[in-house]
Amino acid sequence: MCKRPWAKAMESNSPLLTLDNVSKAFDGVPALRGVSLTLQAGNIHGLIGHNGAGKSTLINILGGIYPADGGEVRLAGEKVIIGSPRAARALGIEIVHQDRLLAPTLTVAEALLLGDEPRFTGLPLLHRGRMRCEAQQAVFTHFGMTLDPDRLIAELSVAEQQVVQITRALRRSPRILVFDEPTAALASHEAMSLFSAIQALRRRGLAILYVSHYLNEITELCQQVTVLRDGRDVARHEVSQIHVQQLITAMVGQEQKAGVARQPQPAGETLLQLSNLSAPGRFQGVSFSARRGEIIGITGLLGSGGKSLLRALFGLENDLSGALTLNGRAFLPRSPRDAVARGIAFVPEDRRVNGIALDLSVRENIVLTILGALTRRGIIDRRRERELVKKNIDALQIRSPGIEAPVRQLSGGNQQKVVLAKWLNTGAALYLLDEPTVGVDIAAKAEIYLELARLAANGALVIIFSTDLLELQTITDRILVLARGKLVKTLDTRTADHHEILAWATGAGDQPTPAREPLPLGVSMT
Amino acid sequence: MTEISQHAPAIGGAEHHSFIAHAGRYWMQGGAILIIVAVLAIFAILSPLFLTLGNVGNVLQQTAVIGILSFGLTLVLMGGGVHSLTGGIDLSIAANMGLCAAVYAILLRQGCFFGTAVLGALLTGAALGLLNAVAVVRLRIMPLLATLTTMNIAIGLEMVVTQNAPVPATGALLDLLISAGPLTIPWLSWGFALVALVFIVLTHFTRFGLRLQAVGGHSLAARAAGLAVYRYVALSYVLCGLCAGIAALASVAVLSGSSPGSNDNLLMVIAAALLGVVFSRRLVPTIGGTLISGLFLSLIANGFQLIAISSYWINGVEGALILLVVSLTAQLRRRQQRRKIHV
Repeated sequence: MCKRPWAKAMESNSPLLTLDNVSKAFDGVPALRGVSLTLQAGNIHGLIGHNGAGKSTLINILGGIYPADGGEVRLAGEKVIIGSPRAARALGIEIVHQDRLLAPTLTVAEALLLGDEPRFTGLPLLHRGRMRCEAQQAVFTHFGMTLDPDRLIAELSVAEQQVVQITRALRRSPRILVFDEPTAALASHEAMSLFSAIQALRRRGLAILYVSHYLNEITELCQQVTVLRDGRDVARHEVSQIHVQQLITAMVGQEQKAGVARQPQPAGETLLQLSNLSAPGRFQGVSFSARRGEIIGITGLLGSGGKSLLRALFGLENDLSGALTLNGRAFLPRSPRDAVARGIAFVPEDRRVNGIALDLSVRENIVLTILGALTRRGIIDRRRERELVKKNIDALQIRSPGIEAPVRQLSGGNQQKVVLAKWLNTGAALYLLDEPTVGVDIAAKAEIYLELARLAANGALVIIFSTDLLELQTITDRILVLARGKLVKTLDTRTADHHEILAWATGAGDQPTPAREPLPLGVSMT
Repeated sequence: MTEISQHAPAIGGAEHHSFIAHAGRYWMQGGAILIIVAVLAIFAILSPLFLTLGNVGNVLQQTAVIGILSFGLTLVLMGGGVHSLTGGIDLSIAANMGLCAAVYAILLRQGCFFGTAVLGALLTGAALGLLNAVAVVRLRIMPLLATLTTMNIAIGLEMVVTQNAPVPATGALLDLLISAGPLTIPWLSWGFALVALVFIVLTHFTRFGLRLQAVGGHSLAARAAGLAVYRYVALSYVLCGLCAGIAALASVAVLSGSSPGSNDNLLMVIAAALLGVVFSRRLVPTIGGTLISGLFLSLIANGFQLIAISSYWINGVEGALILLVVSLTAQLRRRQQRRKIHV
């Protein structure tokens, strides 16, 4: 326990880990375009960035999950190559994963010591007594708490699982510890005790990289902060010299002109009303009402409950409580069947998993939802079917080799349009779309937006969940921001900007405006 | 994984899930023990022979073959995880045993030294296990399908070498195994107990056992802990094949040779390994649990014989038990899982 290989680096206060212009692309799509980052022993360095900014890629490179394409990693001044998780470990880099990578069927002691189990000297047998003892001791040393080493991981609370995972990492005496969204699953008092544990680690001389969506955590915990945007490090600051608003500005970047912002629409009658809708563990006490003709955006970071809220409206989340009225009638969605029967259509995010049959043709996919209406005495009316599909293809500009081509052959954007077409024909009153344009090219995006606007104009209510700020600003009338399971703010799209959305989503929205050196919104930090 | 992270939890709570899962587990385990006791009691009342030492020794001997096979299957289930479609399973194990028994009996008949014959049987089993390992780990074929095909290979090979006829065999080891040892219990039963002990130690008191369980519990986590996940899965299939070889030694001793139709044991083997889950706190297959349920299944079969109920019923009873236990444990696990995702 007492050997401290990092002691030297700590004294000289020189950088312990340096990333220099690190880049990474997947199938030619750049995820990191050159990121530089410096970690010092005895420091907590925050890493923030909006979805898709490259945070996870960076963590995975540090953890040796995949190699960097370009750039250099230096550890205590020496160039190193992190070729595998094992290599990362040997270099003293430990990652505390957000997903709590622990087998639920193991006991605390087993999970803690897995891969490094004590044995009886000279025998190939596990020393279970020593395992228990060591596990208990390790948890106590690092967290000052006792955790029964015989309890199963499955029986622990999320916070306790987090403790096990961090202790696991610390047992290897790492020099560098990376936390990936450690509080996403924690209640606030649990987060507080985690923070004091992290502070203690810092005082012991570890270099800590702390990745989080929540800006108040960054300002509370970190000494430095680096902001990633579009795979680049766009800003680096001493936390003591910066205000949250500046961080948000850096995350958002040059305000993208939302050019074709939606014109205010004449509102129809109220279609959907939620009061105190809750799903335990996902979202709580959400109330809002929405009218026909509206397009409403729901947004929120990972773990905010926004996605669950959308899914709940389609009956995909269980244990719902609270009240919901649709078209004036009370209705708590229990299953997708239920929801469809009441005129709700849902376009899921991962179309390949949930939305489309890749090997079926464009025609077959499109008519799947309305076969009943096309059928007479058990026989499908082929002529009507073809006409309808042709109409859909024209309306959405679906580019396909033909209506009989398997959907697999279409581009991502056109596949998404097929999913959309499939639901358009149902004539639903409420359309729910989950990240409708992820992986869709700009032209297809525009056509999808147009179609959504048309749906609303025809009297439907459209609700989309999206983390694409530009998308939200382009097509919605209102934006509901969720954070930590609560609806924290409803913004009018015409007056809201990216800052405000992000500020509310990251839990910095209710902070007072900066007292010192106020910065006009919209000024980029780069 | 993406599923989990996307619906990543927002707030605390949902302890009641864990409570339900716990209560459910206790109910199931308590219920299982009650059922076993009740069934045994009924048999004991209906047939005075049931609980005699001779009969129990007999049952132990009958359990040896099934038991050793289900130990092998238990290893595969441990390492492959619990998913009913993609999880680990070895459908070839009983057919493999038939092939090993045929090889063993033929080698003995041809006058081979018995050590050579034993080695031949064990190697045959391990080789087929290796084939399973390659199919599952290297070729990435779903275990259910991969081992279904090797099952047919084993059946086919057995028919080829035996012309689908019984092969009588004699030898010193065979005679010893069925002769009575200490406490008038046959040596075969003692051997079975020894094998059980070895496997309990292997799964519970070695690094291999713990890591195999870690791999089955959460393979991504095992990989993050630096384990060569596929090596453990592969080894579990090879060991399972080896078990088929060991079981063949017992089977040839009991039947005085090899005889066709060993694949009929498959359902009972699977039943023993799956029912064993009930006795585990972790709701995973264990050697101890498999041993208990293997004995239980043998006792039922034996009891049916003693009170003169057609043994044709056995298959149905086993099938129903599997269905019941597998659906129950799946239900409990799903509750646990939901808690893990949504807390």
